[in-house]
Amino acid sequence: MVKKAHLVTGKGGVGKSLFSTVLAHYFSTQNQQILLTELTEHSFFKDYLGLNEITYKPQHLKSNLDISQWSPEDCLKEYCLHLLKIESLYKLFFENPVSKSLIQVAPGLHELALLGKLTSSPRQVGPPMRHDQLVVDSYATGHFLSLLRAPSALNEAIPFGPMGEQSKSINSWIRNPDFTQIHIVSLAEELPITETIELFKQLKSEFNINASLCLNKMSELQSSDLDDLPAEARESFKETIEKENWSRAELKKLNINWIELPLIPEIDTNKLISALVKVYANAAT
Amino acid sequence: MPMLQLNKNTKTIICIGSGGVGKTTMSASLAVGYANQGKKVLVLTIDPSLRLAQSLGIKPDGELHQVKFVSAAGGELWSCVIDHKNTFEWFVRNASSSDAATDVEALLKNRLYQQLSGRLSGSQEFTSLISLYRFVSSGKYDLVILDTPPSQHTWNFLRGPEKISALFNEGVASWFRDSDTESVGLFKKILNVGTTQVLKALETLTGSHFMKELSLFFKAIQKWQGPLETYIMNCHRLLVANETEFILVTALDSSRITEAQKLSREIQKQGYRLTSVIINRVPEWASAVKQPKSARVNDLVKYYQSLENDLQSRLNSFKTSLKVYKCFELRQNSEDVKGLQKNFENIRLLS
Repeated sequence: MVKKAHLVTGKGGVGKSLFSTVLAHYFSTQNQQILLTELTEHSFFKDYLGLNEITYKPQHLKSNLDISQWSPEDCLKEYCLHLLKIESLYKLFFENPVSKSLIQVAPGLHELALLGKLTSSPRQVGPPMRHDQLVVDSYATGHFLSLLRAPSALNEAIPFGPMGEQSKSINSWIRNPDFTQIHIVSLAEELPITETIELFKQLKSEFNINASLCLNKMSELQSSDLDDLPAEARESFKETIEKENWSRAELKKLNINWIELPLIPEIDTNKLISALVKVYANAAT
Repeated sequence: MPMLQLNKNTKTIICIGSGGVGKTTMSASLAVGYANQGKKVLVLTIDPSLRLAQSLGIKPDGELHQVKFVSAAGGELWSCVIDHKNTFEWFVRNASSSDAATDVEALLKNRLYQQLSGRLSGSQEFTSLISLYRFVSSGKYDLVILDTPPSQHTWNFLRGPEKISALFNEGVASWFRDSDTESVGLFKKILNVGTTQVLKALETLTGSHFMKELSLFFKAIQKWQGPLETYIMNCHRLLVANETEFILVTALDSSRITEAQKLSREIQKQGYRLTSVIINRVPEWASAVKQPKSARVNDLVKYYQSLENDLQSRLNSFKTSLKVYKCFELRQNSEDVKGLQKNFENIRLLS
């Protein structure tokens, strides 16, 4: 049974997918059964991890670690099959062109289906899941908030009936800190930090969620490292150090805690992941 | 050959690429560069950094602003930050096929519309395209540059309008046409092909409340079907027009370059005129660093160089019809008109 769901978010390009992979690998070394999953239509993990294919059904990646890809349609199908029990009835309804288009366009339904799957194990709705923890490479900041808001928005619009009940129960599990943990990944730069701080505050005020924060690709340089460099290189690194210090100061001002992952100068994906898992293990304990 | 080469007739540039590669700054650089060549340029952005907005003197109010800018060649620079909520409402108010203000108000007051209009997937993409179409067809600019929304994938941008179109689609709304507050219309349709079991299934899954709200929502948007289809068609014509060029911005990173190669092949197959790829933020200074005393600096510099070597070795796998450029890293404190012009001049052809 799933005891914990980790949702990874952050501005585009900060390294969400890599961080999700690192988290999943790290937890898998803790004697936990982990499912790493992504929500994008066009898989990132397939090319990145060199997989032949990626499916809704979890596939073995390494010991204690499976990987999958969730689409709203797959989640919805699984949920409805569970409720209707009869495959032919499902087909009659969902493969009907009219209901098919309706599912495509009904506002909020996709978001609800994804979060429904995320929380299906503790809510005991849908087929049982054998993993202990889920790590979800989720959407970027703005889209992520829409995802989280969908259950309460739908619940407000439709308070009664099965749909209303489902959105209410999904909403409460999303807000349960013992079950849902949100990780925001950021770079130590103006735009990502500003977005991160806004998201952090929003999660706190709207959902009462305390997100964890990770600063990625840190230079780990000091100004004394730059003395002997040509002017251009020195200026560039100096700017990096300034941005990093500025970012730390902004977070401190707001009493936000964070961990830091360094920029690993490594092109090989597997080596990169194992190096980061080591750093994360130290930072997390 | 320095600088990006456009086709002579190009009137619209669409900057695409995944998040965090510097698309907004690159769009602004192109705008400054071509304005300096004497064109009247408009740049449409989504979410500029505070620094960029301040240095260009633009406000995130959805209005047009002329950027203070002296061009010896007589160009002008205009900017607009797209306000999605207002643009959507503008569309609802202006594109209704009926003049009845009550229809407009009914839609704007619909509970599902209110809860979800700004959050519908595809709505940002839709409003960006509508804004683009509005300004290009005004004929007031020599060149309009669109900085696309920060969606996970360019496909989301290109398919956004389709998604919205499906929502306003005649077919979907007509299921509810004959129904009053009950969702009889839809049930009838399904009953034509199914059995009473389906009806039960639908009730079990969603509840009658949901069906009722949905029915009201689709009935409220009926009036927009015709104009919407015209808009979508015009937007599509604009996207595939000879005067429109797509420019893909990406970063110096193996997985991003793989992504860019795949995307460039796909997007050309779909009939969009992708002409150039810009590998952004290449740290050109790295090659000048020789035997630094700091081991960490040494590692980082070597890493940047190995990324560049990796890029060089892969240039052949980009299609020959595509020009690949690199652009150097832009200092943050030079994100002003002068810095953007310098950035524009720094774009170098690789292939």
